[in-house]
Amino acid sequence: MKTFTLTAALLTATTLAGTAQADKLDDIISSGTLRCAVVLDFPPMGMRDDSNTPIGFDVDYCNDLAAALGVEAEIVETPFPERIPALMSGRVDVGVASTSDTLERAKTVGFSVPYFAFEMAVTSNDEAGITSFEDMKGHTVGAVAGTYEAIALQAQVEAWGEGSFRPYQTQADVFLALSQGQLDATVSTSTVAQANVQSGNFDGISVVGKAPFDTDYVALFAKRDEYGLLNYLNLFVNQQVRTGRYAELYETWVGGELPDLTVGGVYR
Amino acid sequence: MFDYTFQWKQAMAKLPQMLDGAVVTMEVAVLSMVIGILLAVVLTLLRLSGSRPLAAIATTWVEIARNTPALFQIYMAHFGVASFGIHFSPFVSLLIGITFNNAGYLAENFRGALKAIPETQTRAGRSLGMSQLQAFRYIILPQMLRIAFLPMTNQMVWAILMTSLGVTVGMNTDLYGVTQDLNALTFRTFELFAIAAVIFYVITKIITLGARLLAARLFRY
Repeated sequence: MKTFTLTAALLTATTLAGTAQADKLDDIISSGTLRCAVVLDFPPMGMRDDSNTPIGFDVDYCNDLAAALGVEAEIVETPFPERIPALMSGRVDVGVASTSDTLERAKTVGFSVPYFAFEMAVTSNDEAGITSFEDMKGHTVGAVAGTYEAIALQAQVEAWGEGSFRPYQTQADVFLALSQGQLDATVSTSTVAQANVQSGNFDGISVVGKAPFDTDYVALFAKRDEYGLLNYLNLFVNQQVRTGRYAELYETWVGGELPDLTVGGVYR
Repeated sequence: MFDYTFQWKQAMAKLPQMLDGAVVTMEVAVLSMVIGILLAVVLTLLRLSGSRPLAAIATTWVEIARNTPALFQIYMAHFGVASFGIHFSPFVSLLIGITFNNAGYLAENFRGALKAIPETQTRAGRSLGMSQLQAFRYIILPQMLRIAFLPMTNQMVWAILMTSLGVTVGMNTDLYGVTQDLNALTFRTFELFAIAAVIFYVITKIITLGARLLAARLFRY
């Protein structure tokens, strides 16, 4: 009996001490569930299959992360503008949501090292007569509000001083507007552009060239002060590349030349 | 759970941009109300016209405007009509969507107001030699607008709040659109939307108070 009481007391003490110091990483491990914010409107990174199940590069990446942590993965769909509110209000633990790691955003959330990199492509309505990035000058162009390419394209339109920029809330709306001729051209990640043009859902549009924006490195994100978790995410990204899993996922969902995630001449 | 450090300074620096957005929001709301009131009067006349097809058109309008989401109406004004090759800019689409909604609701307000005016007044006007239209114009309409004035204020507030749906059709110059853009750039979601909420609140408060003062002046006996 005495031993039992002692054990119980010890256990309680350990649990209490444990709770007092538990960080997000501990919380995830003890809760048994990893909740990832994923954008499911962004093929091939995140989308739904015919039975409405989330699939895509980001979905698999989240599943891998959960497996590494030894927990269940839960995919929480978050449209682009809602990624940060979802994180801050505690609805998700990490974002695996193709999020560009800008310095401005890093003032608010914590980013891992890049886990993916996008090239930007120009897709245009066939009737607009646009065959290159420069041809977009003076036209009505658009992109998904809040994305790296939207920010860059809007700045470019302002620099040109003619034409106009329209942000839409979802990638589907952008391609719908493009195919209807409401937009003359859009800039999106080349993977998304190819996937949508080939999907056959949108008539009269084609990918016409590359956009000369810097490579868009995207990173996993978590709360800025969760160093334990961020540290784990960094190692996880590294391991994904090292073990060949990154290349494997890339081949499955995207195909073609594997983007290099390192930047020459500088650490991190 | 909610451990977030608020950075008001960073967000407040964007206040001028947001106030510019508030001006655009006001423009859309005021325009949609002015056109909406005119259309609502026309709809009311159509319903009173006694012609079945005309009344049916008005009733259909009112039914759709009142019984479908404003979001749907705005979306249709942009993506819906575009599938017939008609392209409106986000500003115009938003304006059409809200105006359509306003007209429907206001027509219904006007109908309620008309019910409050005794039929005998029209007849009295007619017996004084006024035409049907004159009786409506000089006797019924002023009273109708008076009774419907506060519900109209309500609709104006609603119109202002509806402008926030413009982001779905690519609007980025109104208060909500500007806030959404700034949010994408900085991820300072909570601060920016808190500021936007305060601006919305102040605008609608000014309008309701202004309307009360105006009503007190306009409708004195």
